[in-house]
Amino acid sequence: MQTSARKKIKGTTASLNRFGPGAQALFHVLLGLFALLCIIPFVFVIIISFTSEESIRQIGYSFHPLSWSTQAYTYTFQLGDQLWRSYANSFLITIIGTVLSVLMCFLYAYPLFRKDYGYRNFFNFLSFFTMIFGGGLVPTFVICKSVLGLSDNYAALIVPMLFSPFNIIIMRTFFQTSVPTELIEAATIDGSGEYGTLFRIVFPIVTPGIATVALLVALGYWNEWFLSLLYINKNMNIIPLQYLLMRMQRNADFLAKNSGMIGADASRAATQLPSQTLKMALVVFIVVPIACAYPFFQRYVVSGLTIGSVKG
Amino acid sequence: MSIGEKSRHGSMQGARRKKNLVLTTMVLPGAIWLLLIRYLPMFGIVLAFKNYKAQRPNTFWNNIIKSEWVGLKNFQFLKSPDTAIMIRNTLGYNILWIALGLVIAVAFAVMMSELSNRFLAKTYQTLMFFPYFLSWVVASYFVLAFLDPTSGMIPALQKRAGIPVTNFYHDTTWWPLILTICNLWKNIGYSSVLYLAAITGIDTTQYEAAAVDGATKWQQIWHVTLPNIRTMIVILLIMNVGKIFNADFGLFYNVPQNSGSLLPVTQVVDTYVYRAYANTHNMGMSSAAGFLQSAVGLVCIVGANAIVRKVDPESSLF
Amino acid sequence: MKRLVSLVLSLALVLSLCAFAQADDLPTITIMFHGSNVSDDSVVLEKVNEYIADKVGAKLEVIWGTWGDFDDKATNALLSGDSDVDMIFTCSWSADEFNKYAKDGYFYELDELVDAYGAELKAAIPEALMTAATVVGPDGEKHIYAVNGFKDTATQIAWDVNVTLLNELGYTLDDVKNLGFFGWGEIFAKAKEVKGDAFYPFLVEPMVAERAVTNTIIVTGDSGNVNLLSYYMNPDDLTQPTEKYGNVMLNKFATEEYKAFAETMRAYYVAGYIDPALAVAETSNDTRTNAQKEANYLIGTQSYAYGYEYSAEVTSRGIEVAYLPCTDPYVDTTVSQGAMIAISSASEHPEESFKFLNLLNSDPTLMTLLNYGVEGVQYNLTEDGLVDFYGEDNELLPGRSAYQPWTNGMGNVTILPDTKSEGAGFRKAFQEFYASGKAIPVLGFIFDSSEVETEMGALANVAAQYALALDCGAVDPETELPKFLSALDAAGMQKYLDAANEQVKAFLGE
Repeated sequence: MQTSARKKIKGTTASLNRFGPGAQALFHVLLGLFALLCIIPFVFVIIISFTSEESIRQIGYSFHPLSWSTQAYTYTFQLGDQLWRSYANSFLITIIGTVLSVLMCFLYAYPLFRKDYGYRNFFNFLSFFTMIFGGGLVPTFVICKSVLGLSDNYAALIVPMLFSPFNIIIMRTFFQTSVPTELIEAATIDGSGEYGTLFRIVFPIVTPGIATVALLVALGYWNEWFLSLLYINKNMNIIPLQYLLMRMQRNADFLAKNSGMIGADASRAATQLPSQTLKMALVVFIVVPIACAYPFFQRYVVSGLTIGSVKG
Repeated sequence: MSIGEKSRHGSMQGARRKKNLVLTTMVLPGAIWLLLIRYLPMFGIVLAFKNYKAQRPNTFWNNIIKSEWVGLKNFQFLKSPDTAIMIRNTLGYNILWIALGLVIAVAFAVMMSELSNRFLAKTYQTLMFFPYFLSWVVASYFVLAFLDPTSGMIPALQKRAGIPVTNFYHDTTWWPLILTICNLWKNIGYSSVLYLAAITGIDTTQYEAAAVDGATKWQQIWHVTLPNIRTMIVILLIMNVGKIFNADFGLFYNVPQNSGSLLPVTQVVDTYVYRAYANTHNMGMSSAAGFLQSAVGLVCIVGANAIVRKVDPESSLF
Repeated sequence: MKRLVSLVLSLALVLSLCAFAQADDLPTITIMFHGSNVSDDSVVLEKVNEYIADKVGAKLEVIWGTWGDFDDKATNALLSGDSDVDMIFTCSWSADEFNKYAKDGYFYELDELVDAYGAELKAAIPEALMTAATVVGPDGEKHIYAVNGFKDTATQIAWDVNVTLLNELGYTLDDVKNLGFFGWGEIFAKAKEVKGDAFYPFLVEPMVAERAVTNTIIVTGDSGNVNLLSYYMNPDDLTQPTEKYGNVMLNKFATEEYKAFAETMRAYYVAGYIDPALAVAETSNDTRTNAQKEANYLIGTQSYAYGYEYSAEVTSRGIEVAYLPCTDPYVDTTVSQGAMIAISSASEHPEESFKFLNLLNSDPTLMTLLNYGVEGVQYNLTEDGLVDFYGEDNELLPGRSAYQPWTNGMGNVTILPDTKSEGAGFRKAFQEFYASGKAIPVLGFIFDSSEVETEMGALANVAAQYALALDCGAVDPETELPKFLSALDAAGMQKYLDAANEQVKAFLGE
């Protein structure tokens, strides 16, 4: 092969492909510092989740609490069914949503990349326009609920986020930057059908792009809670974990702001409010699985560089 | 394959039609979704020009049809004395952050792709994504831990050093910087992963060819990496320009703890509309604000796209 | 590969298939409550539906809105004309603008239904509550638009005093009373001296403190986040206007009373008597709640409700707490519209819904069932007939911990039995206390801001910038108050005031 021939002539490509130690060190410092800045707040969240309530009341949130406590976690486990059920819901919604959404995105973006596709501009605009203009919250709610029946079911938590014009454009850009047109032409000449070309030839080349979009979509589903607020009224068994957390947060905010209006009942409600530490413990519960899933996506995003795409 | 010129022409047309048909089946699921969930509700845009009220019978359709047209009355929120400040802040922060975000994210992506220690590269990249998991509310606690006038770390250090303590939540001086750091902190990981994935997709033989021609690593980045991710850069840029009149509500509301004294540097279109109409639930005014943001966005995107199309038609959005 | 596409489509379709239809003859009516903490209502609703099947002729379903979600859910349901929500909690505070929704046609006119089916309701709740729920509708005429809950029907602001600490400092409650807000400096100084520099004796909700000192009310219909209007009460005789101002709406921040308040707060703030965190909107509430729980204050503010000092929140502070009321309990529009249930004009079953509300507010069995749950599951009865939510181990019964609606948000609480924690006779004493509330002259006045909505939006933003910091003393009124007032003027304060006063005149002329 040409490549190996070049290697022999010019020595190892590895040395050619890398910066010197000085530049490398500089990169490590810059990236390392920024990475640290990114992770410290999460460490902070973990610290708060192990802080005792008294310490928070006395000195607020701090990196050095006065005393420690695992109360938040014991309480979290006492939530029992509710916690695990919403956990399971989060997984279910994220997995189904991501698979369907990525598939739809992949299928929609591919023809938009094909210059020889007749309706390319039409469908491109169809998607792009919705990125700028929308009907607004209430009209969308009415359509989803009364026309599509998205109410008190899992579909209500999945369907409204299935498609994202932003991801279409990202995906299309990945096609543009990594799939050579000749490759598709060659495949067509070889008698490959359009779907065959897409899944057998194009798919392996754009895995970094697909992994990236999948990551964005999965994060979107995992973090979503407003759909639950809108569409879930009676069937509380299907709400995801993120909504459980947001509900606690919003309850606390509302009670604090309106304590004067709710009367003596508010005091009872306020004493039952989950503490700050519990909220942070739930944040930990929410972040850990998606952070663990991250390397799975990353395998395709980062390591791709060493694999590269085969051309010519 | 037929041999005759005429039949060959015919079969080519047939093949094209078939190809178009097959490719259309690919876009169909997405197109149906768009029509149902994005286009059907778009009649809601008329709300920006109506005084929406419940009618008899009270159904949403009937209410929209029968509600009175009010022309541009809902856009009067623009007549506020705060208008100049909120527009300045919205546009100013967005322009600054688009530029900074682009440079830093691309730089980080390139650096990560060039690190020889793959393990550390992956670790950095993973960690950079963490801010994306934390909501602005949680992030605001973190900022508070530094700035809180009584127990915050910076005021504590100032006390220890004998410097006058800065009352951060009543002093606008530092907030443009703080908001900028927060914005970059949250978004760099996200966009750098897009650039990184684009770099990953670059055909490695291009680097080898450049190396054969004696290009240094810096030259390789300039002549191979950047041109190859140019499309991604331009596309993200155009899309960001389209959001130039929108602001990240949580960043401007939660992170400064909704402190009134900071409004001169934290008031943006979204927070203004929220503070003005959250309690009256005026659908007309919030629709009007949304419509205005969309219209400005559209103009900016079309403008930016037109420029790109002249310079680099390959990278244009449409 | 087309199969794949159709697979995706059919999967989406299967997912979107909603719950199976119910094969029941009775129509279903749905009610949306506020402030619930309910995760299992199955036992209760089964009993409720058994009980109301004949009496109402419908089956009840409940949407248990929580504190944090209700506003969004309710707004969405009302604005979208959702016929799946028949009855909905509403009030005049928070963001649930009863008067605005009624005027814009979102609520069903109950006049005829009250006449036809509401005899029990009329007998069960005071006339004044019916009047408070009678407001202007889309036709410009007054109609009954809600069933008003019979709960705490008067309001009162009180100073919350940490008596334990006060005595430790060598002062008595009488000293606090006699010195008054403007003279508390010396007590605060003493507290600071004894408890150290990190102690903040004056723990206020700044906007409540402002009303407490100036004896002003929240004007119903005024801008919500920060009030702009003031009506001055006459503390000597709440039923009469003040001699100084009369029945007039004033620019809250332009009076000399406000200036005096802001200057004193400034002095207290500079002297270190007030926690700076109270002057920042989002940290203010957390800081106050935490310091209260820790009993880490000397004097605070409280919107008082009867029985508050015996509530768990106060007793758990571990100190002796006294409440010094700023005025006698009074009745204003806001409190008289404190918690109501309206029927949506999109409802397909207004008749059944009203029959249900009529029963709920007049029938102790139904009210107790929906509020406290089922005996043996959510509560046990003591020998004296008191409701006890706690088991023998002093833990909340599991049934109760899964079923805790907001009592005051449901309706007529006076027909509920007493609970063990409140003690026998509580409901009666509660009723007597609130019956003593005095009606202020502008009771029933509702400011209609629809003509000055743009100005209100601009003013709300100006006030958001200055009001809290001034109320708390975090900025100097000497320089900031004039700036604030001229910014208000530029945003249209005069037009806003004129609109309000024109309406007050029309209201009192009636």
